Amino acid sequence: METYYYSQFNHAVVRVALFDDVTNAAAIRSRIVQAARNLGVDGNTEREAVNFAFIDARLISSPLHLQTAIYQALLSEAQGQLRTKTVHSEILWALNPTNNITEAIRRYGVSDESTTLIVVRVDVSDTPDLQRRMCDVIQGCMVPFQALVKMTDWSIIKKHYKLDSESALKEVQGNLDRERSIIDNIVVSSVAMKNVMA
Amino acid sequence: MLSSSSSKPPTQQLLQSADLISQGAEAKVYKAYLRQVSTSCLGPDHGAVLEALEPVLLKYRFHKHYRHPSLDASLTRQRIAGEARALMRCMRSGVAVPGIRMVDVNEGVLGIEWIDGKSVRQLLPGGAELEDISELEEADEMDEIHENGAADPIADYGVSRDALMVMIGVEIAKMHLADIIHGDLTTSNMMLRKQTNDLVLIDFGLAYHSTLVEDKAVDLYVLERAFASTHPDSEPLFAGVLSAYEKRMRKHWLPIKKRLDDVRLRGRKRSMVG
Repeated sequence: METYYYSQFNHAVVRVALFDDVTNAAAIRSRIVQAARNLGVDGNTEREAVNFAFIDARLISSPLHLQTAIYQALLSEAQGQLRTKTVHSEILWALNPTNNITEAIRRYGVSDESTTLIVVRVDVSDTPDLQRRMCDVIQGCMVPFQALVKMTDWSIIKKHYKLDSESALKEVQGNLDRERSIIDNIVVSSVAMKNVMA
Repeated sequence: MLSSSSSKPPTQQLLQSADLISQGAEAKVYKAYLRQVSTSCLGPDHGAVLEALEPVLLKYRFHKHYRHPSLDASLTRQRIAGEARALMRCMRSGVAVPGIRMVDVNEGVLGIEWIDGKSVRQLLPGGAELEDISELEEADEMDEIHENGAADPIADYGVSRDALMVMIGVEIAKMHLADIIHGDLTTSNMMLRKQTNDLVLIDFGLAYHSTLVEDKAVDLYVLERAFASTHPDSEPLFAGVLSAYEKRMRKHWLPIKKRLDDVRLRGRKRSMVG
């Protein structure tokens, strides 16, 4: 599990885990939807159980991509300018190139077909028992975060960012490493500057 | 829960712990780390390998108190947006520029990729003038080395001056082909990356979009004047830049060349209309 620490955001502690071979994606998704609807007291326990950002790992081009979205979400929260309900959903919003919240959740969040998930927890201090809480919700195998590099689906990313005919990529056609490094740079930069994209 | 109502805004805190590198009329430039390693998070199961944190460059367009506050806020926001969009266009067009890492419009801060290397100005003769705070600190160490005979800084990079001029010509051509005008082309605004020896164009604070031949010609002219005023006997060097630029621009070169000749004759921004 990765830990990111931010003293400037009231010492926020962000934990990130990567899960492979996820078999209950559909159940997780419906659990999140149900928890959001549940207005009773037990709704709170349910919401707390899924109080994470669930991100489809295929759409993340690098750890930096995720870190940049997390940072912009933390910044929005600190400035009282969240576009979505929680900092976790804000991370999903930050990842999406457009302003459409539903699209962001649909594209970058857990979908019924997801088999690899990144799970992020933002907290004011280290959450006790975090690994158990994550494993309670997800039926899958927690793997080292470095394994992310094998999971990226570059063609979907290119599609979402309309990079299929971009001149920057035409130049380095054939050199896969260079091409992916350029895509990652464009994706990271787009996430960082989304607020001024206009 | 995480709102900083009790303390300073997060970006101000970030700036406080950052290293000031240089200060201009418009902005202060810092080296910073967006996150930290917490010692409390290091337990027995964390091995000796700590993920190396990458620095970022923070460009802080501080409040100008001589401006009306709402004008100041609006202008700062526009400038940041303009710079970020120009960088994005360059990236998509294959021009080598720093990536964007963080944007805080409310505080006027643009965070970009930290480029490890030297500016072209520092790598060419005549450019070793101490321009900013970090160079002043380095100078004391460098004095000893220079006493033993001038060490040519470009030697460290395994790139000849001629090859460097070609790289400059090519990057500017790519930029102009994407209809982006830099607005402040000088040898201080170009860097050579240490490990890859790639050229990177920086500081797009005055950049804008234009298809006009005039704007591209002026962009080149500004660079020509910068070369001449900063580096002695630089005419052959700049000629190398233009030659590589011409090659890359192909059919677009001729109208720009003609305009450049006009601009040279009259000086910039002097209209002959009486």
